[in-house]
Amino acid sequence: MQCKRLVLTFMVLGLVLVVSFSALAQLPPEIPREETLIVDQLTGRVGTPSNFNLWAGWRWQDRGIQQLLLEPLWTVDYATGEIIPGLAAELPIYNEDFTQMTINLRQGVYWSDDVPLTADDVVFTIDLHTRIAGLPYHGPMAEFVEKTEKIDDYTVVVTLKTPSSRFHTHFLDRWGCLRIMPKHIFEKAEDPLTFEFNPPVACGPYILYDYDPAGFWTLWERREDWERTPTGMLFGEPQPKYVLFQAFESEEGRILAQLRHELDMAQHTLEGLRVVLDRSDTARGWRKEWPWVVNIDPCITGILFNTMVEPYNLREVRWALVLAIDIVDYMAVAFDLMAPVSSLHLPPVPAYKEAFFVPTEEWLQEFELDMGNGEKFKPYDSEIPQKIAEAAKERGFPVPEDPVLIQELFGMGWWKYAPDVAEKLLEKNGFTRGEDGKWRLPDGSLWKISIVSDPSPVHHHFRNATAAAEQWRKFGIDATVNATEAFNSLVLNGEFSVASQWPAAEPWGAGVDLSRTFDPWHSRLLTPIGQTVALGPGGGARWCDPRLDEIIEKMEAIDPFAEIETTRLLGIEGLKVLVEEMPTIPTYGYCGPVAWDEYYWTNYPGAENPYTQPYQHWPNLKYMLPFLQPKESH
Amino acid sequence: MKFIKDYLFPRLVQYLLVVFCGITAVFFIPRIAGQDPVLEMIAQIQVQGGSLDPTAVESLMKSLEELYGLKGSLFEQYITMWKRVFTLDFGPSLFQFPTPVSDLLRIYLPWTMGLFITSTLLSWILGNLLGGISGYFSQKRWSKVLDAIIMVIRPIPHYVFGILLLILFAYVWPLFPVGGLVLGRRTAFNLDFVLRVLHYSFLPALTLVILGGASWFQQMKLLVQNVKREDFIQYAQAGGVKERLIISRYVLPNAMLPQITQLTLALGQVFSGVLIVEMVFSYPGMGLLLYRGVTRGDYNLVMGITTLSILTIATAVLVLDLIYPLLDPRIRHR
Repeated sequence: MQCKRLVLTFMVLGLVLVVSFSALAQLPPEIPREETLIVDQLTGRVGTPSNFNLWAGWRWQDRGIQQLLLEPLWTVDYATGEIIPGLAAELPIYNEDFTQMTINLRQGVYWSDDVPLTADDVVFTIDLHTRIAGLPYHGPMAEFVEKTEKIDDYTVVVTLKTPSSRFHTHFLDRWGCLRIMPKHIFEKAEDPLTFEFNPPVACGPYILYDYDPAGFWTLWERREDWERTPTGMLFGEPQPKYVLFQAFESEEGRILAQLRHELDMAQHTLEGLRVVLDRSDTARGWRKEWPWVVNIDPCITGILFNTMVEPYNLREVRWALVLAIDIVDYMAVAFDLMAPVSSLHLPPVPAYKEAFFVPTEEWLQEFELDMGNGEKFKPYDSEIPQKIAEAAKERGFPVPEDPVLIQELFGMGWWKYAPDVAEKLLEKNGFTRGEDGKWRLPDGSLWKISIVSDPSPVHHHFRNATAAAEQWRKFGIDATVNATEAFNSLVLNGEFSVASQWPAAEPWGAGVDLSRTFDPWHSRLLTPIGQTVALGPGGGARWCDPRLDEIIEKMEAIDPFAEIETTRLLGIEGLKVLVEEMPTIPTYGYCGPVAWDEYYWTNYPGAENPYTQPYQHWPNLKYMLPFLQPKESH
Repeated sequence: MKFIKDYLFPRLVQYLLVVFCGITAVFFIPRIAGQDPVLEMIAQIQVQGGSLDPTAVESLMKSLEELYGLKGSLFEQYITMWKRVFTLDFGPSLFQFPTPVSDLLRIYLPWTMGLFITSTLLSWILGNLLGGISGYFSQKRWSKVLDAIIMVIRPIPHYVFGILLLILFAYVWPLFPVGGLVLGRRTAFNLDFVLRVLHYSFLPALTLVILGGASWFQQMKLLVQNVKREDFIQYAQAGGVKERLIISRYVLPNAMLPQITQLTLALGQVFSGVLIVEMVFSYPGMGLLLYRGVTRGDYNLVMGITTLSILTIATAVLVLDLIYPLLDPRIRHR
């Protein structure tokens, strides 16, 4: 009897607990869900939750600091191919010999504590960075800036020590740049390196509302005076009153949250995206139909050679490895045939297709490799997108028939699968194939390739590494993947032969200036193995070419805003050098498996209406928010 | 005196040796793993678009080494490390710079302790109690059914079981949150906050209690079945001692001894957290913190957590060795 009573008591208690739990709303009552946009934080839980000083180093800036709190002078929008002046009223103005850059500021912008944002803030920011060595942007500021002058409240002239037509790029936000500091706050900070900037003041449209001390969420509230921010002036009122950034430690948690309508914008794995789209009636991808994923990302993925290590110092060996790849098979393994291939060291985004891919198509078709004995081979295959489409059809995917759309989905073309030509190129360079079918190096030892890669199996680096290893094994090379946490350190120090990393630095994403892509390969930046490579993506190849040096120097001597056509033609010339030399192998454009839930918010910038870039982690999120529309039923 | 010379002193020396070797190993292992925290930061800056010439890279590396406390030879760093151990100041976390490691421990340890200690104790009590009774009455039908259920649950990995609970109770029947530690609310000591923490911690705790309890259950059941066959139990049964008394006074106390040892060791692992469960439920524990430290080459953070972990486990074992005679009357320090 006593036992029964005990069981009954426990059951009643359990029921009360369950009822009280189910009555708990996800958000506090003062934060209405229908006025809140909840987004996934790409870089995960914030490790420095109380610290908003992104000038002093990595502070998880995609927790809303770069998207909502701060506006830069200029922002790249790779979806439209434009540069958006934010705090600046217009694009930078250079003098004739590029020794001075003038910044005209937008008038009427205020910090959230009612202090106007003026030339004093700009001068203070640049001066501070030239003086304090620990600040990440100290390097370029100390190298280039001779002096910074305030002409009037809204005009600043920066005088440079050495001419530079690209100095403005340090202030051009494409997931990072030197942003303008609030002088009235930082001038009181004892040490700008340890100063936490908490509570932060905003020049962007949102202010900090609250955050989790353990770093799992950050909540932002729209400024009452949003019209005194560049976002408000340019695009109008941001629609969500609150924006909540939430970090998930597992893919499953992220998926379930989105299925419960507790997460509006998220970037999943490809597999996660499929589950969300399959299970939710209100979720959508960037493209409403297959293949759903964002394929206009300004990153190119692929394979990186360390050209200071034999035999990858040999151009023909690198080319042989390209021709040993069956790209259709490769894409099936790497990304289930859902990404656009790229033969150039550029992402195949619409603006670049028009400016670079289409104009080089004829040259690519005529491009020849010398196989020896007078034999020539034209490696380019413009039919590759069609072949990928056929393979996708065989897998049962709803592939469109329109050739324009096929190019949009699968790219312009890639290199032929020609193992026979690869064999000739290798034999020409002293390689031999053993009786076991395996390739030997010129010294007779077995050719082994260990592809160093990021360890995350869902990262494009890992996907490329796996696909390349499989292709090269098929060709007779003992190829394996070395997925290691030390990936970045090994690549930066040159302690690798082949890696799966960005094969070229992302271009600016707007305009036709490819300096960002080419710069890491200038001979002045070449460092020996063991010394850290100066410029990251692409630079890890430790490669240079006098022809590219010349092109880079010519680019430095012209104004990318005034001499657009010359800049574009120089870009084409540089790309041709890269194709000829193939220091790295570009394979396909980065694709983002983004899912948006339209339960509370609609009018996301999907493929049918790409009014801005689509990611929640890019700084441009602020420029998307005025266009979002609340779902009326809520 | 003889106790001190023959038992306590050698045990203390052994204790110090374990601590010394453990901490030394923890100092060297991350440094030979090939991951450099300074280069990790440089890579981060480069990916963000920071443009640096070779001189600027060198200068930034020097600044970072200075800020991170990685200046000097390996031996100098080793000496500095011991100074830090003695003062329990492990410097700043490199990956979460400039947050001091001690601050991170202060934030995360209570969460882990709350979840880990509660669920470990609960699973230990429930597992041992049920396992003990089930072991004693192993021929009963209910005992066999319970055993079969536990046998199915026990081998399920924490990750799979956690996901299963999450799908059932956060999606099919959306009673619990899928993550987001007390979303939108600052830490406060009021009923609302406590309820929400309970709400948020319920599924992670349930995962640990069920899987942990199943493990304790099986161990205890086997132990009890062995003890039950001992002569003194059969003598007690033959002597007509009441069954309840036999279980509570003879069987359980004898079977409990190895379980107490294991409980002490299990509780000592509080600093390592419960990584998999923390990941599934996005729970802010020490496991995640240590995992991030290891994957990002954060020497100071790894050092801080593992040093405390080594100290706790070694001390727990030492204390257990010393107090064992109190628990087991068969053992005496001579």
